Amino acid sequence: MKLAGLRSVENAHDESIWAAAWVPATDSRPALLLTGSLDETVRLWRPDELAAVAPPSRGHALGVVAAAAHPSGALAAAASLDSSVRVFDVDSNASVTSLDAPPSEVWGLQFDPKGTVLAVAGGGSASVKLWDTSTWQLIATLAVPRPDRARPDRTGSGKFVLSVAWSPDGRRLACGSMDGTVAVFDVARAKFLHHLEGHHMPVRSLVFSPIDARVLFTACDDTHVHMYDAEGKSLVGAMSGHASWVLSVDASPDGAAIATGSSDRTVRLWDLSTRTAVQTMTNHTDQVWAVAFRPPGGTGVRAGRLASVSDDKSISLYDYS
Amino acid sequence: MPETVDDDLFEKLQQTLESDPNNPNNHYNLALFLWKKGEESEEREESKRFKERAAEHFLTSAKLNPNEGAAFRFLGHFYGRVAADAQRASKCYQRAVTLNPEDSEAGEGLCDLLDGEGKENLVIAVCKEASDKSPKAFWAFRRLGYFQVHQSRLSEAVQSLQHAIRGYPACADLWEALGLAYHRLGMFTAAIKSYGRAIELEGSRIFALVESGNIQLMLGSFRKGVEQFSSALETVPNNLAAQFGLASGLLGWSRQCISSGAFGWGATLLKEAAEAAKACTSLSGNQYSAWKLQGDIQIAYAKCFPWEDKEDSPEVDEKIFKVSIDQWKNTCLLAANSAKCSYQRALHLAPWQANLYADIAMSVDLIYSMEEKKEPDPAVWQLPEKMCLGALLLEPINKEFWVILGCLSSNHALKQHSFIRGLQLDISLSEAWAYLGKFYESLGEKLLARQAFDRARSIDPSLALPWAGMSVGYQDRTSLANESFESCLRAVQILPLAEFQVGLGTIAILSGHLLSPQVFGAIRQAVQRAPHYPESHNLNGLVCEAQSDYQSAVTAYRHAKCALAIMPNSKADINSHLADVSFNLVRSLCKAGLAFDAAQECEDLKRKGFLDIKGLQIYAVIMWKLGQYDSALTIARSLAKNVLTMNQTGVAAAIGLISSLIYSISGKESAIAVIQKLPGQFLESDRMRLIISALSALGPSMQLQLSLPSMFQTVVSYGVVNEIHSIIALSKMISSELNQDLRIDHGVNYLRKVLHMYPDSSLLRSQLGSLLLSRGDRMAPHKAVECAPLSDGQTAKPGFKSPDVIHGAAVVSCYACRSTIPKFSFSTCPVQHMHQKSRVYHLQRWLHREPWNRTARYLLILNLLQKAREEKFPERLCIILKRLLKDALSNESYLEKNKQCQYEKFILLLSASEISLQSRDFLECISCAKEALGVNPLNTEPFFAHLQLCRAYALQGNISNLRDEYANCLRISTTNEIGWVMLKYLEPSCQLEDSSDAIVVNLQKCIERKGNSSNYWVGLLYLACAQCFVWAEDYVSAEQALAQACAEVDADSCLLLCHGVICMELARRECVPQFLSRALSSLTKAQKASPTPLPIVSLLLAQVEASLGSKAKWERNLRLEWSSWPPAMRPAELYFQMHLLAMQSSAVSGQHSGVESSQSPERWLLRAIHLNPSCLRYWKVLQKLVDS
Repeated sequence: MKLAGLRSVENAHDESIWAAAWVPATDSRPALLLTGSLDETVRLWRPDELAAVAPPSRGHALGVVAAAAHPSGALAAAASLDSSVRVFDVDSNASVTSLDAPPSEVWGLQFDPKGTVLAVAGGGSASVKLWDTSTWQLIATLAVPRPDRARPDRTGSGKFVLSVAWSPDGRRLACGSMDGTVAVFDVARAKFLHHLEGHHMPVRSLVFSPIDARVLFTACDDTHVHMYDAEGKSLVGAMSGHASWVLSVDASPDGAAIATGSSDRTVRLWDLSTRTAVQTMTNHTDQVWAVAFRPPGGTGVRAGRLASVSDDKSISLYDYS
Repeated sequence: MPETVDDDLFEKLQQTLESDPNNPNNHYNLALFLWKKGEESEEREESKRFKERAAEHFLTSAKLNPNEGAAFRFLGHFYGRVAADAQRASKCYQRAVTLNPEDSEAGEGLCDLLDGEGKENLVIAVCKEASDKSPKAFWAFRRLGYFQVHQSRLSEAVQSLQHAIRGYPACADLWEALGLAYHRLGMFTAAIKSYGRAIELEGSRIFALVESGNIQLMLGSFRKGVEQFSSALETVPNNLAAQFGLASGLLGWSRQCISSGAFGWGATLLKEAAEAAKACTSLSGNQYSAWKLQGDIQIAYAKCFPWEDKEDSPEVDEKIFKVSIDQWKNTCLLAANSAKCSYQRALHLAPWQANLYADIAMSVDLIYSMEEKKEPDPAVWQLPEKMCLGALLLEPINKEFWVILGCLSSNHALKQHSFIRGLQLDISLSEAWAYLGKFYESLGEKLLARQAFDRARSIDPSLALPWAGMSVGYQDRTSLANESFESCLRAVQILPLAEFQVGLGTIAILSGHLLSPQVFGAIRQAVQRAPHYPESHNLNGLVCEAQSDYQSAVTAYRHAKCALAIMPNSKADINSHLADVSFNLVRSLCKAGLAFDAAQECEDLKRKGFLDIKGLQIYAVIMWKLGQYDSALTIARSLAKNVLTMNQTGVAAAIGLISSLIYSISGKESAIAVIQKLPGQFLESDRMRLIISALSALGPSMQLQLSLPSMFQTVVSYGVVNEIHSIIALSKMISSELNQDLRIDHGVNYLRKVLHMYPDSSLLRSQLGSLLLSRGDRMAPHKAVECAPLSDGQTAKPGFKSPDVIHGAAVVSCYACRSTIPKFSFSTCPVQHMHQKSRVYHLQRWLHREPWNRTARYLLILNLLQKAREEKFPERLCIILKRLLKDALSNESYLEKNKQCQYEKFILLLSASEISLQSRDFLECISCAKEALGVNPLNTEPFFAHLQLCRAYALQGNISNLRDEYANCLRISTTNEIGWVMLKYLEPSCQLEDSSDAIVVNLQKCIERKGNSSNYWVGLLYLACAQCFVWAEDYVSAEQALAQACAEVDADSCLLLCHGVICMELARRECVPQFLSRALSSLTKAQKASPTPLPIVSLLLAQVEASLGSKAKWERNLRLEWSSWPPAMRPAELYFQMHLLAMQSSAVSGQHSGVESSQSPERWLLRAIHLNPSCLRYWKVLQKLVDS
């Protein structure tokens, strides 16, 4: 289990890169890397050589904070600071729709594994919004209840939902907030199940294990990565080692490792069997905002790929084996 | 060797112990020795062994004397450090502390042990106990203080720490902790002092430096804060807190600069701040506050970066101008964009921070306004509105976000709603009221706007916007221009915003404040901050023009034109502005003397069809200046055609211009003809009245003369009446006959009458003063001084003399003379030497006030010369004068070919010559006089230079040269009577055979020319003759001359006195009694003519009477003589005479009527001798008196 640097593109964007997601391969093309940046553009990159696929696609008024790809590989969505979500066709770069939300009520986004629902972390609304991907209508709002022991906060709701993740079976949805609460929902019944406790700082990223729908990894500003049993409401393990905030986490497709990006400018690979960092990549010169494993599938290529993007405007691609 | 010493000591101690094993001290001493050995030993094992042995003895000592704290302390050390038995250690320490609460070692040891075990409460209890027991247990206070600070029991902490500091005054930690406690308590000054002490003790106290810096920032003393942070960064360059503090300190400092209008300074500070902020964000990229600070700095930079005009030449190249504007815009835009990015980074890090949304909203709005995007569609949510809404969603009760939303929104309804929502949250939110007012103003709801502004202003008078808003009303006459100006000025002074400044300039034009320095500064700043805005350049031009700096004005107007050219506005809009600016440009060019350029501009305007009536007027003037009279007249004609379409003031200006033009080009006849053709109502303006009176003064045209009297009935302005009277006075002086001098008397008479009507008109007064001075009358200068009172700081109308000049000149023109000894000096000036000293002081004051003023210097020199002359040239004054003259003559302005300058130089050279003559430096005197001849300005007669040469040669005894110069004088001749009189004195020295009457004849001519009936000068001439005769000892001729003089001049006591004296001398010499009677009559007349009792006259008269044998008259005159002297100045001879008188009266005893009888004759004589002991005569008389 190791990472090997394949390629790095300096100045891939004009400004800090904040979001990265893999667009799954389709019949006609391999999987592509989607990046979003403060320079208000979203760009697509062909892997291994990291060549720009198309000219930068504009259409955002402010920096792009999150990007997600439809499992089919045809669509992608990007959210910017002005709280607009732009859904566009990956190949033609044509806008499909623009989901308008009140400002400050959009942050992270994620398509469900089947591709029928887009979950949007609702920021200041303290909820997760679910959008039907065929009609682009809002179908549900999953509100995060205030935990009893929540700190009194002067801001409106006292919550700001930053991140959202689907379980691989599509039945559960988890979201992370600025005060460290992680909420788990039953999607089918649109019902809040419980909080996962242990964090007290913003949870900026979370991901379910691709092989086990109960296991949830959370990346938090408290420099730790937690591993929860999402159903059993318990903390399974914690992984420490980053010197600063953990900004993003992603699980490898084989479920044996997770990768994290952090404010300490490193990317770490963690072995889940030992729960230790097996490798630390220090090629970025500024905080790493997103890490993403390439999903399996596509034409022939079985090799694992990890991409990381950073404030230093660069994208790095690693071979994971 | 030390080993052996140690061994000796050890054995000794051992022996002592053995000798008395029950003495705890012996055990203790030995233990102490061993403990020290153990401490000294470097080997661990050995050290341990020593210490173990020491511990045994300590233990015994403690057992024997359980009240010995020191032993327990060492036991504590042993258990704690060597045996690692914490429990025992703490027990021993406890015992030690209980026994001696001041034992800091034991106390610290105990506390460290307890602290290590996490028993905080126990530590506090121990410290409390110790501190309660002894006020000198400083260690306990220290420890307690630290804990209390830690637990935020601050006021207790302050007390403990203060107490501890008494024990450890040089402990920087304590001072720092005390500072922190004060800081938290909000006692900032005390905190700064404590931190300062810590820094003093240890320069590298980063915490103290940073914290005191933060306090300084909080207190608003940014400069001090920046210093603190900088010195912290010197020690630790990568300290995040210090970098952050430095950046925010610089930001605050630059804000202060900017709010005072120093944009350039602010920008440089912001550059430094940006560097510090960058260091901050690179040190820690995930601090959202650092990014926000960086954004704030960039926004401030974008808002203050000043535009500078890099070109020096008045020629303005539009391309270069555009490039420089674009560069400036780009710099600002770049800064704004980078601010936007920084805010986004901050938001990305902390999306729950509502204010960051507002920050982004404002930065985006700034960028939009800089990019000059088109008016947004109010129906669609704009990005700034949206972001602002984001902030509101997170914090719906934040009133400021509502105000921001209102400001940023382009939708009227939303705007109003937002402001009102803000006001609902806080009714006394002055910003909301102010912006609401602005909003209503833009909707045209004047009343609502005014109310809103009023409220905002009364809530917070330090807010600029309401003041600016209140000044808007001047356009619809709801408020006075002056009031508007004051309001707007206040707004500008509170907040130097380009919009306000331009507004201020606009109001200043209306209220006539263009010359005020505040407006000048404001407009200059407006140009810096809004160079792309033509109005700021245009106003800059107007301000420069008001200050008579036409070159700068021209440059500014050209900039304005360029700015108009690059404005993305509609064509029609630009054209009207362009016409205005071009018109201003033409006017400035014209005033700057660049008539050719102005003409070109005019033609350009004409081609474009912008030339309106005002333009035509200027065009006409320019053509006239260029000498193209025909075109000027053509333009005037076309102007005249338009006259009827103009309004009242326009008509007046146009008609005035036309008539002046016609006068300058075609002469006064045609001008009069034109004016006569004009209908009456056109002549009703002040300007036309002045023109008509001037014209009628120049030439007698009956019709114009007739229209004059009616003028005074309609004239309103006081100043204009005075001016008309002044012109009439001038006209009275102009005689109808040619080749005749000005009839000054007529003018003076007229002015006297008018001054009676307008006694406080300084114009008329100074004119009268000037006229009186130039009249040449003997008494005129004094009158001139009286009618022109001094008033500091007032400038006279050009052409007339200022009061200062009149006063200076009056002294010069006074012929009064005094003797060298002030004691015997009696002024012959009838006005009693008009406060001579104060005049000189006044001139010095004037020169001090205006050191550059040539006239002041010139008049001062002449005044001093006059004084020197009166005092017969004392050496001191001569030296001063020489220096002053040298200084004045080296003045560059005398190199000019100006008539006035040349004249002054001529006079100064003559003065220098005179001074040299008086100090008997003939060579210098002659050279100066010759130089003066070389200057020889057109209007001055070289006569006086020749006269000066005559005098020099005469004194030198150079007869041949003297004769030449004398001849020159006669040949050149002068119209000044005094010249002839002076020349007369020199006549005898020439030793000419044929003493002609040339001088007398010339003088007569002079007098006739002036039409002056007074024979004063003839009298003086005869006096001069007489003096010459006296020098030649020809007393008979002298008597004749003086008799003639007395006949010519009516009752002048001086002349009469002279005549009397000569007659007496003749009588004495030739014993002809008829002279005695002549003397008698002259002296009697002199006695009567003199306004004050003239000394000597009576004495002489007494002598004459005595000679004629009238004893009674002799006595009476002697008594008169006594009383005519001021008491302190009576000479010895007078006492002697009084002695004689006393002798007489004592002889005729019983008649004690006069002064003389107050003392005995001997006493009179003695007093005479006392005053003048060198006179033998007195002594002889005394001897006789004593003998008898």
